[in-house]
Amino acid sequence: MPDPLLSVDDLRTYFYTSAGVVQAVDGVSFDVRPGEILGLVGESGAGKSVVARSVVRLLDEPGRIVGGEVRFRDRTLVGFDEPSPDAPDPTETPPNRQPRASMLSESAMRQEIRGTEIAVVFQDPTASLNPVLTVGAQLREVIEVNRDLDRAAAREAAVEMLRAVEVPEPASRYDDYAHQLSRGLCQRVLLAMALACQPSLIVADEPTTALDVTVEAQILDLVRDLQARFDTAFLWITHDMGVVADICDRVAVAYSGEIVEQAPVDDLFHDTKHPYTRALLDSIPRPDRADRRLDAIPGTMPEAIDPPAGCRFHPRCPDARAVCTEVHPDCRAVTDGDPPHRAACVKHDAFDVDYEHSRPIEGIDAPGVDVDFTAESGGADDQ
Amino acid sequence: MAGDGLSRNLDEPGVGGRPAVGWRATLAYLRRDRSAFAGLIVVCVVTGVATVAFVDAVVFAYLSRFQVFASLGVEQYWLARTVWISPTAEVAPELLPPVGLENAFGQGQLAHPLGTDDRGRDVLLRLFYGSRIALQVGVAATLVGAIGGSVVGAVAGYYGGWVDDVCMRAVEVLYAVPFLVLVLALLSVLQARDSLLVVMVTVGVVTVPEFARLIRSRVLSVREAVYVEAARVAGLSNLAIVRRHVVPNSVAPVVVQGTLRVGTAILVVAGLSFLGFGVAEPTPSWGAMLATSRDVLLQNVWFSVWPGLAILVTVVGFNLLGDGLRDALDPRLSD
Repeated sequence: MPDPLLSVDDLRTYFYTSAGVVQAVDGVSFDVRPGEILGLVGESGAGKSVVARSVVRLLDEPGRIVGGEVRFRDRTLVGFDEPSPDAPDPTETPPNRQPRASMLSESAMRQEIRGTEIAVVFQDPTASLNPVLTVGAQLREVIEVNRDLDRAAAREAAVEMLRAVEVPEPASRYDDYAHQLSRGLCQRVLLAMALACQPSLIVADEPTTALDVTVEAQILDLVRDLQARFDTAFLWITHDMGVVADICDRVAVAYSGEIVEQAPVDDLFHDTKHPYTRALLDSIPRPDRADRRLDAIPGTMPEAIDPPAGCRFHPRCPDARAVCTEVHPDCRAVTDGDPPHRAACVKHDAFDVDYEHSRPIEGIDAPGVDVDFTAESGGADDQ
Repeated sequence: MAGDGLSRNLDEPGVGGRPAVGWRATLAYLRRDRSAFAGLIVVCVVTGVATVAFVDAVVFAYLSRFQVFASLGVEQYWLARTVWISPTAEVAPELLPPVGLENAFGQGQLAHPLGTDDRGRDVLLRLFYGSRIALQVGVAATLVGAIGGSVVGAVAGYYGGWVDDVCMRAVEVLYAVPFLVLVLALLSVLQARDSLLVVMVTVGVVTVPEFARLIRSRVLSVREAVYVEAARVAGLSNLAIVRRHVVPNSVAPVVVQGTLRVGTAILVVAGLSFLGFGVAEPTPSWGAMLATSRDVLLQNVWFSVWPGLAILVTVVGFNLLGDGLRDALDPRLSD
């Protein structure tokens, strides 16, 4: 197994608001290996985007990374000294932990990581481009800053990148403004911008959510091609299981600030180990089973200010038993495989909590949804 | 890719609904707006006259110092012109123009369409030369205010927190004192009631708060834009982000406010020279001409009318242009 490119360990990002402490990311761990596409899926509010921002350390107030470690190759992007034993509970007051000496400074992050090693593509392609500058000027600027090229050479490289992302007539599109391009073309420009400095990792935060399905399919094709060509790893954040099945190598499923299941993509779909993932998959219409009732997941995701004790999914879980309200499961390997299939559910043997003899508890009633799907495909749209 | 023609047609979100880009589109918009276009013409005419006056007064005065130009007649021309506008200069009698003190307060005639003033100088010509002062001071003062205010406001808005508090509270101190009182006080303290430069800077500085507040409010929303965040993750420094992304997206209201402010600044400077500040004789200025004409208001009202009309037309021109620019640059009103 190759060394991970990006390794996130027990990352905790809290938002200290006047309404309370929002535990948006609460102990997330995953690895991204060189050249792979790791999907991070979950409902809105599961903390997916906060993970993306925490990785590149671009959190706005009142967000704070309060614990955990993020390593990129041999560099520490996030790391803290051990908390002192009498430190206050971070879920109540903002902790005052010292960054480790090896943690990169803000200017080092800017010069050595952002743009050059890790690039980010955001959800809304038209909003991600400055309306008063031509798309070419923005692309050229990123290349100038990160690749130390002069203006003319950067311009040439920019046109070359536009060609690489299959923008038609790249030389004349260079002088267009964002509003003159379609969303699909804007997203291509943003991909060009992300790829411009040949980073080893691209964090894509729902890059195809704002696109219609035809354009989405084109972009996914393009990403697959580019990934093969440049061997870039992706952290692909989405809520669309269809996209996950389409392009991801491995998947991590996020629920309420935690990772509840992590597996290679085929295992996840065919040998689902966590009830939440199961429920998520059951709520998606499938063209091969048109007559089926769609099973909605009852209830809503808990408030991240005051998550339920025990397993955070237990109030909505069909398999919940008394033990689930007491034990907070970590995400551990439940099968022997490489890469391992991890799940955070006590019903697996890897957890020694006597789930078998625990008393089942009443969950919320699960109303099915009658649908009349013919051969229409679609994603789990939680927007 | 084959699908691009399709996708361009299917989800073209902006075309038609977005503001047109660039000065060309702005100009096209102004042409459709009749009052703004009238304002534009007034501003252009005044600017043209002022430019000619500037070239005449400054460039020729400079050139006349050199022997080679003097021998070409430049010096003679300039001396003659100085005398014509202001006969206080000591010149050879043969260079005196055919007017003098004996022609003071002359009525309109073919040689002097608007008559002559208290010292026999041509009123029309002094109005022309006065436009240079008015425009120079108005534009320079506004630039001082706009640039100073933009820097303060952009820094305050982008960095926020205590930087914001310190910057904004500091400039708001200027708000606490009435405008004209503050200008007069500053001019007196600096003991520079005759210095045009000090007048320009002072009038500019007192407008800093309004520009600062204006651009700060824009920056506050622009800095949250996704493209600013995208620039941050692309590794751009704060300075580059402010310069390339935040300021260009925030200047439109400053352009509008600046155009409107030029009119106000012209009015203020005219008021100051009416009160005897800023522009000293013999330099022609509209405000000083008004002040002089006050003495003969009952004998001949026209001496007050002409400079007053010049101020009125210019200020209204700038205001009309400013209103038109506001509509042209406002994406919500754009068609």
